[in-house]
Amino acid sequence: MATRGATLIRGLKKAATQVTALVALMLAWEAATVLFHISEDKLPALSSVLATAWTGRAALAGAVGTTLFEALIGLFAGIAFGVLSGIAFSSSRLLERMLLPYFIASQAVPIIAFGAIIIIWFGNGVASKAVIAFYLSFFPVAVNTLGGIRRVSKDEIGLLRTFGASRLKILWKLQLPTALPPIFTAIRIGAGLALVGAIVGEWFGASRGLGVVLLTAMFDNQVTQLWAAILATGATGTALFWAVVALQKKIAWWQTEV
Amino acid sequence: MTPKIRLHNVSKSFAVGARSIRTLQNVDLSLKGGDFVTLVGPSGCGKSTLFNILVGLTAPDPGGELFIDGVLQPVDHLLGRVAFMPQRDMLMPWRTVLDNAILAAEIDGVPKAEARRRTLASLDRFGLRGFENHYPDQLSGGMRQRVALMRTFMFERDIMLLDEPFGALDALTRALMQRWLLEVWEGAKRTVLFITHDIDEAIFLGDRVLVMSARPGHIKAELQVPLPRPREPDVLTSPAFVDLKRTLLAAVEDESRKAFAATNLQQLQPGEF
Repeated sequence: MATRGATLIRGLKKAATQVTALVALMLAWEAATVLFHISEDKLPALSSVLATAWTGRAALAGAVGTTLFEALIGLFAGIAFGVLSGIAFSSSRLLERMLLPYFIASQAVPIIAFGAIIIIWFGNGVASKAVIAFYLSFFPVAVNTLGGIRRVSKDEIGLLRTFGASRLKILWKLQLPTALPPIFTAIRIGAGLALVGAIVGEWFGASRGLGVVLLTAMFDNQVTQLWAAILATGATGTALFWAVVALQKKIAWWQTEV
Repeated sequence: MTPKIRLHNVSKSFAVGARSIRTLQNVDLSLKGGDFVTLVGPSGCGKSTLFNILVGLTAPDPGGELFIDGVLQPVDHLLGRVAFMPQRDMLMPWRTVLDNAILAAEIDGVPKAEARRRTLASLDRFGLRGFENHYPDQLSGGMRQRVALMRTFMFERDIMLLDEPFGALDALTRALMQRWLLEVWEGAKRTVLFITHDIDEAIFLGDRVLVMSARPGHIKAELQVPLPRPREPDVLTSPAFVDLKRTLLAAVEDESRKAFAATNLQQLQPGEF
């Protein structure tokens, strides 16, 4: 019980430090706009940004919901495809040699170059954004799945074979669990990329979402509105990141040897 | 009586570049059911290769034969026949003590609940009662080895191969584990082949001690250990023990010197990882 109490106190201390830093940052923002007479067109005071965000909270929440939905669909598809291709590469050197270079090349082409095409192919709705989110998120997952599976030593596979394990059982009971922590690390990166992908997708053509709010505010020269949307985007990205971290702590909490 | 396991004329060569290096040469050995046989030899003598052949991970060169209960075993039929415990415990960090201990049985097809029930009943015997829900990184080295041994025992096979299971433990823990292993073995009556570098350990545990030669490895000498069982720690200082040790040390040291000279000439040790 003593240790649990100690953990709680440590947690509270950590939270207190983080809240202090946040408050300090917010104060600095607010003070800077006043002290340095920064114009509203460049950096409005934090208080007015928050006030604008509060007034438009329903619309902002709707935009967050739309973008998050697109990003999550793309992310889930990216995780599924990434894990499956990682497994496929790990089980066949031939496949890896044939396809992995194209996986790498696909990431060297900026998705912006494809933006218009993806809207033409997948339409103006959720699908096109999810496709871009998918495109950005599958790669780190594939690479870390492959790398994670390769962490398993020959000896460990040998031991399971002496128990009479099939390849599928070796994959399921040894290789995938070993790869799970690095897979989660990739999902953390992929989640951020998926959010970027969804927003970029919305810039190419959409009627709803954070990307639309950002773009509209920019064209209408609504700087305070723009900052409110930026804060909402940042909050969404941060929340997504911490959600993945929490999930990792729950599901893949162990350290695997490198 | 038909031996439980018998190796006849087993050799193994590995290709290294253009050359072929012979790690085992005409190994013959046989174990009766219920035997506890220990195997000592210099490092790099092919002990691990021998074990890999016995468990079916490596095929011997053509001409080598392996019998279990007098039946010739095709190489590809050996996997899953012998309970093997490697040097490293290789416990899975995401599995509890209990679930690590049932791993082999689970893969063997025993339903999880049934395997857990059986294993729970044996926790006392393995000194792990109260630790069943701990994770490996919460355990000491000695306890981890006991979990690995439990996993090996729960994979219910007549033949057990233990590859230096206590090699990484401190002397005190090791002595405790040796006595404990003998107790468990006397209760379960399995046929055990036990690799070690430690001469005292080889004599203390074994009914017989086999000495392997430097590479290419073969069984160079065999020593009966007529010490009574159950063996108590004071046997280690008895005159009979000391005599056996003297004989064995002479045989092993001779081989170690050869192995040492050989490794100075070239460092390659295929099959020994």
